[in-house]
Amino acid sequence: MRTSRLLIGAGKAVAVTALLFWSLFPIVFIVMSSLKPGQEIFAVPPVYVFTPTFEHYAALWSRWGVFFDGLLNSTIVTAGATALAVIASTCAGYIYSRGSGRFLNASVMFLIIVRLIPPIVVTLPLFPIVNAMGLNDTHIVLMVLYATFFVSLGTVLMRTFIDQIPRELDEAAEIDGAGRLTILRRVIVPLAAPGILAVAVFVVVFAWNEFLFAFIFTATRAKTAPLVISEMIGSIDGVDWGVLFAASTVQLAPVLLFVVLMNRYLVAGLTAGATKG
Amino acid sequence: MTNRITLDMTRRGFLGTALGGAAALAAGPSWAAAKTLNILSHKVHETVLGTGTDNDLMKDWKAKNDANLVFTTFDSNPLQDRLFREASLPSTDYGVGYIIDNRPTADIAKLFAPLDDFLASAPIENYDDIAPGLREAMTVGGKTIGIPVRHATGGLFYNEQLLEEAGISAPPATLEELIEQAKKLTFTSKDGTPVTGMIMASDLAVFPVSFARAYGGDYITKDFKLLPKPEAMEKALATMADLFKAGALPRSYATTKNDDQVTWMQQGRAAFTMITFARFKQFNDPAQSKFPGRIKAVQFPKSSSYDGEMAAVTESWGMTIPANFADKDLAWSYIREVSSPRVTLGMARNGNGPVRVSTYADADFAAASPVAAAEAKALATARGAFPPFPEAARAQQLFLEDVQLAVLGRKTPAEAVESMVTRITPLLPS
Repeated sequence: MRTSRLLIGAGKAVAVTALLFWSLFPIVFIVMSSLKPGQEIFAVPPVYVFTPTFEHYAALWSRWGVFFDGLLNSTIVTAGATALAVIASTCAGYIYSRGSGRFLNASVMFLIIVRLIPPIVVTLPLFPIVNAMGLNDTHIVLMVLYATFFVSLGTVLMRTFIDQIPRELDEAAEIDGAGRLTILRRVIVPLAAPGILAVAVFVVVFAWNEFLFAFIFTATRAKTAPLVISEMIGSIDGVDWGVLFAASTVQLAPVLLFVVLMNRYLVAGLTAGATKG
Repeated sequence: MTNRITLDMTRRGFLGTALGGAAALAAGPSWAAAKTLNILSHKVHETVLGTGTDNDLMKDWKAKNDANLVFTTFDSNPLQDRLFREASLPSTDYGVGYIIDNRPTADIAKLFAPLDDFLASAPIENYDDIAPGLREAMTVGGKTIGIPVRHATGGLFYNEQLLEEAGISAPPATLEELIEQAKKLTFTSKDGTPVTGMIMASDLAVFPVSFARAYGGDYITKDFKLLPKPEAMEKALATMADLFKAGALPRSYATTKNDDQVTWMQQGRAAFTMITFARFKQFNDPAQSKFPGRIKAVQFPKSSSYDGEMAAVTESWGMTIPANFADKDLAWSYIREVSSPRVTLGMARNGNGPVRVSTYADADFAAASPVAAAEAKALATARGAFPPFPEAARAQQLFLEDVQLAVLGRKTPAEAVESMVTRITPLLPS
């Protein structure tokens, strides 16, 4: 009995270690490589002990200034898209949670179907339209697109969160004279804050890393960081791996930190409604 | 009286400030120039012009034309996608687009303004100095649709130090010598590194095409003849398979990419590779390479059994003007300037593969680039791995499938060649 418990424990430890290795190895490799001297990045056998150098970061700063412009664009677009998606998802989630009717019920399915459509299907036909509207290469177009693609999932998530808030609180506020908007602002939003943060985490991670829309709809003014990194990879002069890894680390750090800080909300978002009876 | 400092901010105030700030950032500053020429290119095309540095090669042109240059840069394939998409719109803001020589099919060429009238009315200085093969690659249906601006021609790189360790005094002069040396250099070097004789990417046509040309054959000719000498391709595949069997190609050949070639050479894990001469600097960069100054290049050698001239494989870039761009005169003025001998030399000094033969004759340039002579020689007869046609990508995929199967010993060279003929012929233009 004791032996079998030990074996199960050891098995779990091995599985968790393997999973951690699988997940963390690429990140550790990228960060370590960004700090290694260029000669040692792909040395065989691999070099694990080395004197860290920031030469690749210095080179990134001096040679790829456009990368930092891209980071600023990524920040603007991510902030805008997140704000838009959160506001729209919260309002829609509230209506879906508190409202009823055939149309509403049917449209939930539509929201899910919309989420299943591959982005490329709508992206290319949108190009001439966006161009004709003069929105090409603007932050706005990316904000709207990212938000649009996440509103469906965000709405479903928010509905699940708001469903858990007792309707009696709405009714009590209504008796006190509060209108729909006041109830949403004063009652629902504060209580559904974990859900809002969960939606925000999803949108931030998506918008920060997104490539396809940014590639199609931007050129110079709104070009985001992932596009610049793709240029580094595709350099016809040869890839400078140290600089590339430095850029990847800089690109990775904010979103990794954000996800770690918001971890519990992310889990809440993923498990929302899982235990609902 | 209290000394406490307070910061009062209402939610509305905070929101207003945040949104205002975001809007200001989103709008971005704008400095209007008299004219702006938007250019779609790879980053390297912008870099070699010295844009944004004190040595901006286009400084005088900008002043003369009171124009600003704005580059939109992408990686090669996305760049081509974007260029063709922009050129398909009713109008575009992009005046110049850089195109790769194996892309302009007859349909794609229609998206770009024919440049022959411009060449006649406002000629490019000493236009004939530009390598004929490169000019021809930018001519579709008898019309010039692009002006060559950069080439990347393949050469044979070797690690001189490893050759010395193996007692080899000179790089190979024939393909047979190359095979022999590659096998000999499949050894463990003095520092304990296991060395593979040669490394080549399995997903690029340039290798089998070069081996086939070394035997006097080819993949697809300019007039769309597939495998003009099938026996040469068979010999090429047999040679590559022999190298693999002898361990002189990496065991990971089937997954070897272009970037692996660079890192393996820099680390001393491979003794030979074939790649563009432009990589010389990267191979010998002390910050990246374990063998700075010891990795050298020569022309890829032909077989001793072939008496003819061997064409090196080259890929070139040209500058085009989208047909839907309004101010074509400004775009042509830019192209003329970039194509001038002065700017071509300046770009070459910044690492660009010069398209003008005269650039290689420049003493300073030749002195600064140890591979200049070999590159110039290779460029003189170089041509693309295959001509552009609508199904070129699919054909290349099928071609490489058969090449890989032959190299790995899963098909005989004869079977692979037969399969190529069967599968690729229907894809060729009729």
